[in-house]
Amino acid sequence: MPDWLQSVLQPAGPQAERVHALWNFMLAVSVIVYVVVVGVLLLATFRPRHSEAELAEGAPGERGVTRLVSLATAVTVLTLFAFLLFDFSTGRALTSSVKPAVSIEVTGHQWWWEATYYHDIPNKRVTTANEIHIPVGRPVLLRLNSQDVIHSFWAPDLNGKRDLIPGKESSLWLEADTPGVYRGQCAEFCGYQHAKMAFLIVADRPADFQRWYAAQADTAKTPTDSLTSRGLEVFLTSPCVMCHTIHGTPAGATLGPDLTHVASRRYIGAGALPNTRGNLAGWILDAQGIKPGAHMPPNSLSPADLQALLAYLGTLK
Amino acid sequence: MSAPITADPAAAEPEARASVRELHETLERTWSDRPGLLGWLMSVDHKSLGKRYVITAFVFFLLGGIEAAMMRMQLARPESRLIGPDLYNQLFTTHGTTMMFLFAVPVMVAMGLYLVPLMIGSRDVAFPRLNAYGYYTYLIGGLFLYTAFFLNTGPDAGWFAYTPLSGPEFAPGKRVDVWAQTITFTEISAIIGAIELIVTIFKQRAPGMSLNRMPLLVWSMLVMAFMILFAMPWVAVDSQFLAMDRLIGTHFFNQAEGGDALLWQHLFWFFGHPEVYIIFIPALGYVSTIIATFTRREIFGYPAMVLSLVATGFLGFGLWVHHMFATNIPQLGESFFTAASAMIAIPTGIQFFCWIATIWGGRPRFTTPFLFILGFMVTFLIGGLSGVMVASVPFDLQVHDTFFIVAHLHYVLIGGAVFPLWGAFYYWFPKLTGRMLSERLGRWNFALFFIGMNVTFFPMHLLGLAGMPRRVYTYLAETGWGTLNLVATVGGVTIAASVLVFLYNVARSLANGEVASSDPWEASSTLEWATTSPPPAYNFAHLPVVQGRYPLWSRTVDEPVVTGLRTDQRQLLITTLLDATPDHRHRTPDPTLWPLVAAVATGVTFIALIFTPWALVVGAALVAGPLIAWGWPKPKPGDPIVTEGVR
Amino acid sequence: MSAVESARMQGERGSIDVSALPETTFGHRAVTWWGTLGFMAAEGTTLLICAVAYLYVQRNFQHWPPAETPLPSLTVPTVQAALMLLSIPVMAWTARAARRLELGKIRLGMVLSAIFALGFCVLRWFEFRALHTRWDSNAYGSVAWAVVFAHATLLVAQLGESISIAALLFAGPVEPKHFADVDDSCLYWYFMTGSWVLLYLLVFISPRLMS
Repeated sequence: MPDWLQSVLQPAGPQAERVHALWNFMLAVSVIVYVVVVGVLLLATFRPRHSEAELAEGAPGERGVTRLVSLATAVTVLTLFAFLLFDFSTGRALTSSVKPAVSIEVTGHQWWWEATYYHDIPNKRVTTANEIHIPVGRPVLLRLNSQDVIHSFWAPDLNGKRDLIPGKESSLWLEADTPGVYRGQCAEFCGYQHAKMAFLIVADRPADFQRWYAAQADTAKTPTDSLTSRGLEVFLTSPCVMCHTIHGTPAGATLGPDLTHVASRRYIGAGALPNTRGNLAGWILDAQGIKPGAHMPPNSLSPADLQALLAYLGTLK
Repeated sequence: MSAPITADPAAAEPEARASVRELHETLERTWSDRPGLLGWLMSVDHKSLGKRYVITAFVFFLLGGIEAAMMRMQLARPESRLIGPDLYNQLFTTHGTTMMFLFAVPVMVAMGLYLVPLMIGSRDVAFPRLNAYGYYTYLIGGLFLYTAFFLNTGPDAGWFAYTPLSGPEFAPGKRVDVWAQTITFTEISAIIGAIELIVTIFKQRAPGMSLNRMPLLVWSMLVMAFMILFAMPWVAVDSQFLAMDRLIGTHFFNQAEGGDALLWQHLFWFFGHPEVYIIFIPALGYVSTIIATFTRREIFGYPAMVLSLVATGFLGFGLWVHHMFATNIPQLGESFFTAASAMIAIPTGIQFFCWIATIWGGRPRFTTPFLFILGFMVTFLIGGLSGVMVASVPFDLQVHDTFFIVAHLHYVLIGGAVFPLWGAFYYWFPKLTGRMLSERLGRWNFALFFIGMNVTFFPMHLLGLAGMPRRVYTYLAETGWGTLNLVATVGGVTIAASVLVFLYNVARSLANGEVASSDPWEASSTLEWATTSPPPAYNFAHLPVVQGRYPLWSRTVDEPVVTGLRTDQRQLLITTLLDATPDHRHRTPDPTLWPLVAAVATGVTFIALIFTPWALVVGAALVAGPLIAWGWPKPKPGDPIVTEGVR
Repeated sequence: MSAVESARMQGERGSIDVSALPETTFGHRAVTWWGTLGFMAAEGTTLLICAVAYLYVQRNFQHWPPAETPLPSLTVPTVQAALMLLSIPVMAWTARAARRLELGKIRLGMVLSAIFALGFCVLRWFEFRALHTRWDSNAYGSVAWAVVFAHATLLVAQLGESISIAALLFAGPVEPKHFADVDDSCLYWYFMTGSWVLLYLLVFISPRLMS
């Protein structure tokens, strides 16, 4: 079995592990039931039959058959009860009342994920998009909301999914056992680019997480050379500033993802493309070619402006 | 055409034979349609309408299949640019809407409307004109959806159209309105079909066919009809609420003004779950009929079988929240729905055990219908088992809205309903058309369908577990889903091949297939096989009197029949509900064009409603005219008249 | 039918001769009665669904009706409910006359039913205004209008039916089955009026009980 990019069958956290155990149980029981029922059916269908007399003789008789059918029904009921018991105990084990190590408010948008980390001190709150870091081995609570339509947050390696319904907050616990990158995807049809609304959960070791968090909480690096200064100027005088925030600059719009630390992310376009200079250029010039229907319009920039902009964005780590 | 078995056995002598011939000619004159296209449009004959209904539903099946084929072509490779998101979203929406609303329910209703009057020994359904209206309304609704689709105004928010995505803010234009009104058409025709079936089954059974002698197929149609009556209105009202939110600014689903996005889901799934049982339960009836015939044995445990059908019908209404486990409903509520969803496996399990017991005690004949029934049993079982799995909330939260569910639903719908339906097609084709289908081609049909179906949908279980969500027009190569998707597409091609074999079989058979006798399977037990293939317009020269649960097996040489019904006008025998003792004679109406006119007026009204609410006022007047005309008396000489003098 | 009658119907072969059976019946013996029941079931479910939506949406509101909206007036709706209840004995009388094949009486009865139905429709117009809210004000307005409107379609349909049947009874020719149609119409009338009494309680009375 190959290593999947995202899968229920490769649990990497306590919740997903419990569900995986339940799956194994249900699969085993199902296989047994299937083999038995189909076996009896095939036997009934293909068993050798000779004469009518033999047919009458060999038949168990009405009462005998009734008893067998009743027995089979009873076994069915018991099997279902066993399943229910395993299921309810799994469900109970998955409810948690611990205090989360990290609390993150995740807001679904058409077609990207906004994540705001809660912190007592307001200006230490981090807002990012599509790439959510968590400390490994610690419980994390996600508070889920939507700005537009119903989405669903699903990182199969870690836990089941939860819908993001506008106007109704829901919550989801995540915990990763080992450091790594776990991919997830929107799992409730939400329009044109539902297919390309992915996210990454990056489970960092505690020290790495602190370092990441501190960097994210910082404002954007001020440009130090003429090219990157020109890049910031391009950003502030182009349509970019209508939708995106870069903390530490006048750009403060919240229609699109926060770009303050865009260069620190592995992917762009909610998992549409790896975050390379070339891909970013293509995205800026014509996002519609990559994600038709996305709310980002094409932008015509001169090659010089584009280079400057890319240089500037490249500094936003 | 051989003489129907229910002809008077005293017809040995020439004068008696002449009088029998005279009887047939009189009945033919009274009951047949007028000639030509006009006569065909005016028909109120349940057989003529039933055949049309089945063929129309089958055409929609083919269209839905083409949509599926296109989706499979797109998904066969990662990051394919064959079909973009806009068309793909319209495709899966139209595929679901077509299969669920324009194929699955109508075909089951249609089979019921054709078979039930024959199986209970009557001459037509209870309200023949209403029957015609129901069919034409359905036809117009389907044509409407596809016209819109080809004009690039096809719905694209899923067959389930969740709000707010389907609401005025996020689904501009008329696409979702088209969807909402298509629902209205199909809802009306389904409810009409349901009322027909219930009243016909309750009141028109041949003398002696008490409830506990009713064929299992008739029981399944009765349960289906009751479910339709109480389930369909939920989606009809839901879709009209959505149409109103979009057209006249209501706030049923607008959270900002106190409405609720989840109200949509509750109303939809309260219909949506019974819907799948509406489709599944008649299939159980086909299975029982075909097993009885091809093992030449009474189905074991008739009372348990009937109670299982009824129990499934009731329980089906108590499961709907299992479609909403990922929303923020309270956990305690979830547990109830998990238990109910698991428990509904029990009545179906009982049916399985009774069928296996029947087969065990009989001598199976491996005709094509029987092969499809075997295919049903081994395929549906997988769907049922995966269904019990997703009754679990923790597990469902992982696989909900993934290809695991696509696998599950197709295993239960294709395995559980389409395979029995195909068996039913092969079984009753001789009765409907007077020709036999080729058994050789039938085996190829079955083999390709069975293999194709499993190759297409089994890998999808794994795809869902491997993280592939539903309703995605493409996926990255790194996900690793490419191979399984390619395999599924190959399976899809195989299914398409099997359907082509079926079409060829039908065409060949209609052209010059083997002529069918009244009872070509020579082991059938139900009353439709007591008359010619196809039946005459009047179904039976003399209505039968039933003496057992399997009438043709308990037939005596001088079997009793009903005499004394009028032959100069269309007259049905109405019997009592429980015991089917003769009660009175009922005149049914002659052919007329008014139901078609009324259906067209209805169609115009609903289509106009997409554009303006005033269509309701104008439409009401437009529809009232034909409705009144169709009920207005057109007396013929000899009819009883009441005058002032009667006190 | 009795055992004697059914035995008499049986010929020598056990065949059953039904030529002596009546050609018109009333009540649950007749298929049209069952058809009427079927429509009642479908429409009743529709009304139930609107009531369910009304109750569901209520959970989203602190105040019901919402703070800016006055309580619905009681005068016109109560007159309507009373009128509906009053019409029931009139229709019951008509139904009895229909079963006795009394043409003169059912002509009067159906004219009265048309007048009642017209009255209901006119009062319904004012009942909408008595809600003191628009269908597009907020969710309360939407569900209140939905309940009242869904039922209004029954009233309009009944108006059409009463007028048609009355016209038929006067224009003729009148067949025995038309008496059964009048009887079925009365059955439907009980449903139409009875369901409104419940919905009236829901929409016009229950908000008062909550404040």
